Formats: sequence, structure tokens, C-alpha cells
Amino acid sequence: MDRLDELESQSVYIIREAYYHYKKLAMLWSVGKDSTTMLWLCRKAFFGKIPFPLLHIDTSYKFPEMYKFRDEYSKKWGLKLLITRNEEALAKGMTPDKKLECCTALKTEGLKQAIAKYGFEALLLGIRRDEHGIRAKERYFSPRDEQFKWNYQDQPPELWDQYKNQAEEKTHIRVHPLLHWTEKDIWYYIKRENIPITDLYLAKDGKRYRSIGCVPCCSPVESNASTVDEIIEELESTTTSERAGRAQDKEDTYTMQKLRALGYM
Amino acid sequence: MTIKHNPKFMVLSIDGVPIGLLRQLMGEGVMPNMAALAEQVGTRQMRSVQPTVSCVAWSGYMTGKNPGKHGIYGFIDRREGSYDLKFPNSLTMATENIWEILSQANKRVFGMNVPGSFPPRQVNGILIGGFLSPSLEKAAWPADESNYLKSIDYRLDSDAQLARRDKQAMLGDLDITLARRMEAMFYYMDTEDWDFFHTHIMGSDRINHFLLQKFEQEDPEFAPAFRAYYRKIDEAVGKVLDRLPDDTPLLIFSDHGFCPIKQEVQLSRHLVEKGWTVPADPIRHPLSIEPAKSRAYCLIPGRGYVNLKGREPGGIVPPEEYQQIREQLSRDLLEMREPNTNEKVIRKVLMREEIYWPSGCRGIQKMEPLEVARHEGAFGKAADVIAMPYDGYDLKLGLAGKTLFQKTELEGMHTYHDAFMIARGVELPKDDLEISMLARPILEKLDVEPPTDMDGIGEAITPDV
Repeated sequence: MDRLDELESQSVYIIREAYYHYKKLAMLWSVGKDSTTMLWLCRKAFFGKIPFPLLHIDTSYKFPEMYKFRDEYSKKWGLKLLITRNEEALAKGMTPDKKLECCTALKTEGLKQAIAKYGFEALLLGIRRDEHGIRAKERYFSPRDEQFKWNYQDQPPELWDQYKNQAEEKTHIRVHPLLHWTEKDIWYYIKRENIPITDLYLAKDGKRYRSIGCVPCCSPVESNASTVDEIIEELESTTTSERAGRAQDKEDTYTMQKLRALGYM
Repeated sequence: MTIKHNPKFMVLSIDGVPIGLLRQLMGEGVMPNMAALAEQVGTRQMRSVQPTVSCVAWSGYMTGKNPGKHGIYGFIDRREGSYDLKFPNSLTMATENIWEILSQANKRVFGMNVPGSFPPRQVNGILIGGFLSPSLEKAAWPADESNYLKSIDYRLDSDAQLARRDKQAMLGDLDITLARRMEAMFYYMDTEDWDFFHTHIMGSDRINHFLLQKFEQEDPEFAPAFRAYYRKIDEAVGKVLDRLPDDTPLLIFSDHGFCPIKQEVQLSRHLVEKGWTVPADPIRHPLSIEPAKSRAYCLIPGRGYVNLKGREPGGIVPPEEYQQIREQLSRDLLEMREPNTNEKVIRKVLMREEIYWPSGCRGIQKMEPLEVARHEGAFGKAADVIAMPYDGYDLKLGLAGKTLFQKTELEGMHTYHDAFMIARGVELPKDDLEISMLARPILEKLDVEPPTDMDGIGEAITPDV
């Protein structure tokens, strides 16, 4: 079995485990390359017909290309797509001028509202260990408490790939089928499977997005990689972090605010 | 109260207090406890670091090394492989710190609020990060200590935004922050006989930044408030002196001095005006430059970089022109004048190899410009040229700023030569003293062998610039 087959089978196994254990399961779909890859794996796991809904947390600030892509493939693949927005916060005028508050209100609170509304027990998320230092500590099955807090000191052990999928009540479980994938794995797999992605990832005029989210918080990186093959080639030689273009790296934002107030910027 | 425990070595550092101000406040009777201690053991002047900012100074203190070895040169850096910003912290520090070295020798250590110590490294004891820590949980090692800190409403830092809006509110905030920090300090002193115990006070730097001129001009509202704050620091010093046995080794010192600001200087604006840097459109952050058109760029404070081919991702200056570009850039910087007074702004421009040396070296190295340019590791992150301003000209980084010179709410800026040191029971180098020379005598006092690559003696002392 080659590496991609192995990654794929492990993810499919985790997805099926999650579906077996949780009646109220949903998959978070941000329309980025990772969650679209996860969506592809879910379709594979259930032979083209995903038996649980997909949840899209709409901040209203995403790229127009992302909305278009979402609606097109939702129809094409016959997905049960639930879209939620924190309308209250948006009505009060929440905008990305205040990055930290905006993310909390539109993403975290938006998700809380959706969980309360639909009563989900577990959510599939397309995060990967190599994305960010803090994510390296994640588990495949990761309980969150009522406040959504992730207590990283109280996580089930996952030795020898044995997963603990039971948790106390009042928590919901986050399931991370892509945890063991790297950015490069994702791109090799996209290439092999010919998975559709939004063309924001492909270079235009010397720039492309390596990571996408809300328009005001994403910066393109310098790149001439205009095909998946070229992206793979580029990633083989870069040392820059994938999320370098994401202004929402919250600690950096905090640091920046602090330094600005002290006159260091 | 009966005192059960006391540390075997105590450090109480007070950020950004110049020796002149300290002497004035001791003389006026504002700081009687410090004065009494100084009377017994003397006060000394100490040199800071280049560039003179807290995170670099404290990194020098906690590693006992030159920045060329620890790799911390400021609060912001360029992210490798891009022109984005990155925020250096203890994880990017290339070498172990004093708490780790002592931990390896089985000493019990404590550190609280020392700039540059976040995220806390895993030590044999407790480390609580300083003002750039985003939350108490993340600031504390072990993270559980945040429970106690939360219970006393401990504050990582005072609110500088507030300081810009409302000086009275800032003063209240500084008082609470100091009070909670001192409460935590005495709480932790009481928990065990620490081998090494270091608490840092940051508020002095803040009050100097925002009120130094009002103090010097004897402003009727704020000069008394300024003295009152220093009186509170002195009271805390008094309590520490009361409880510590007289033979406990003790260091009380600052990391740099301060002077009033005449003008803030947007150095990146100067580089734009002189054609060195071409800003991107739109300017998203202080490093938003057009690499294909920029021969040089800068970072705060006074750190000039050549946009070097093969090193910067969009570098355009061929390595063989590196030295020539550095020299031209230096001349340009030295020529800058404040238009109203015609005063010169930059006192000196140093090449990176004149004050920094790489890991494994014991002082300034003779290097060819090409070797300097292409050096990797911690030394290779240094600015290519370092501009030292005359006192009063605070070098900033404002690519989007429209004016080169401006005056804001900030009243004080850091100075290099005039930090202070009061040392009891610790043998420090006799003549010249710089902040990176402190780790070695601390370790020696605690019978711990300093790492072989530690600086601070002989040739491995930064030349006095």
C-alpha cells in the first residue's frame, strides 16, 4: 500500500467509526482544500452518499469564489448542507476590523449556536497536526466542554492508534480524520484523486493563497504555481509556514496590538 | 507573620530605570529602602544591549550571551522565506536560559514577568511569562499555576491602550498590576526555599514611556503621581529587604535607561524617501515592501537590512555589493537631520559583525563581508546595520506614516549606557558591566558551572559603543 492509500484508509476508518458511534454527527465544511479533501473521503467512506449533514459556518466575509464553489458542489454531490450565521453579531456590526473579536463572534459563537440548534454530539473537522504548534497536541477524538474549552491536559491517550470515542456528557466530540496528513499529502492526494478545489489556491499574477478563509484576514503568498503539480513542486522547496498568510493567527494579532499600543510598530 | 521560606538567590529587576533617575529619587527620599541598600553596597552603572529594547536586554541577561548566539534582536522579525512579520519569543531563542541551566543542576527556580521568557520553558520550578503572554494559562509553567494567579486577579501587564487614552486611568491600572504582582511574589516566596528567585517589575518602563517628561517638567498633576509609583516600588523593595537574611545574595537592577523623547523618527519612512525601500500597495503591515524594487528595509528600532539576493526571498542586491550597500546605507542614515533644529539624528551606525558574534565564538570575529552577509543561524538573523540614535530620537517603524518626525503621547525612550545595578553578596565584574555579564556570576554563586559558550568574560564582552 502506498503512503496515500494508507492515509486514506486510516481516515476512512475514523470517519466510519465516528458515524457508527454518534447518532448526531455532522461534518464542518469550510470549503478550503483540507475540508474538501475530508468531504471527498466521506464520500468514499459511504460510497458517494454521505449519511450526515455538512455544516458551513458562514461569516459572510468569505471569498465569493468560495460561496460559488460551495453551492456548486453541494448540488452536484447531493449534500445535506446546513448553513449558519451569527446573524445577531452581524446585525450589531461585527466586522474583521477587530480580528480577535470577529473570529470569536462569527466562527466560535456561530458554531456554538449551530450545535445548540441541531444538537450535534460530534463534529468531523479537517485539521492537521502540521498546521500550527498548538494543533500538534490534538487527538483524533477530542472532547470539548460546554464552554468549548479544549483542556489539553485532560485528553484521552491514543497510543498504538486505539481511539477513545466515549466522553462525559455535556461535551461534544471533535473528530479529526486528517490529523496525520501533511499539507503536501493533501496536495498529492488532490492530484491523484483529481479533487476539485477553488482556484484561489492557484497562482494569478505571481500570487496565490495557501490557506483560505475570510477575505480581510488572508494574504496571498508570492508564487507562480498555477497548477496542482506546480504547487507540489513549490511545497517541496519552501520553508514558510502554510498559515503565514493568515492574519488570524491570533497570538500574533494579540502581540501586534500590544506592541502597537507600546509604540513598537 | 512568620517567614517559613526564603530564596537562596534573589533577583528583583525594575525595567527601564536609568541610574540618574534612581539617584534623584533616592536623594529626594522617594525611595528610602533602595537608598539604604545603596548606601551599604553601592550603585553601579550598567550597559544594556544594541538595539536597546527589553526583549533583547533580557535575552542577554537570561542566556548570558551576545545576541549573535541567542538570536533575539527585537520584538519583531521578518518571517523566513517571506516579507511577513514574525514575533520572536522564548521558543525562537537559540539557546538555553538561566532557569534551564539551573534546573539541569537540580536547582529549584522561579521566574515571573521577565520579558522574553514567554512561552515559559519547562523548568524545575515555576516560570510565568511577561507582557507578551496572551493568557495566564499560556504564560505559566506549570499551566496549573494560572489557577492561583487567576484567584488573585493577577495581571500579566498594564494596559498600554489605556495609557494612550487616559493617564489617570493608566496610573490606577499600574498600581493594581504592581500590587497583584507583589502579592504573587510574596506568595511564591513563601512556598519553598527556592534556589533562584527572580521577579520583574515592568510598570517603571511604562510610566517612563508615558510620563517621563511630565515628571521632569514637574507637572503639578503627574510629577507627584510619578513619584508615588516609584515609592510603591520602593515599599516592595523594603518588604523584600526586611524578610531576606542580610547574607542572601541579591541583585536589583534595570535593563536599560531612559531619556525624554524629542521626536519619534519613522526610520522606514526615511528609507522610502531616500529610495531604499518601496512600499507595497496596500501597506498591510510594517514590512509590506515591494521586494523587486527595494534594496534595503528596516525593522524597529534602527535595524537596517540589505534585501540580499539568495537570502531574502525576493532579494535584489547581489552579495558582492553587500558591503558597498551597507556603507551607502550607513552614510544616508548618518546624514539624517531634524529639520527644525538641524540636529543630527543618528550617532553611529554599526555593522552587524562589530557588536555581534556567532555561536562558538568568544568575541568579535574577523569576517569577510560575504561571510557576514551569508551567515546562518542566530547571527545571520541580525540586522546588517544597526543605527544608534542620539538621545531623544526614538527610532520607530512606520512604513505607512506620512511624516518622518513626529511627537506622540510617548514621552520617554530607552537609552543604552545608563541602566543601574545594586548588588549584594554577588561578585560582579569590577570595571565595565553589561547586562549579559550577569548570568555567569549568578551561576557561579549557586555553584553551577556556566556553559562553555557563555559570554561575559575576557574578550567575550560587547565592545562599548
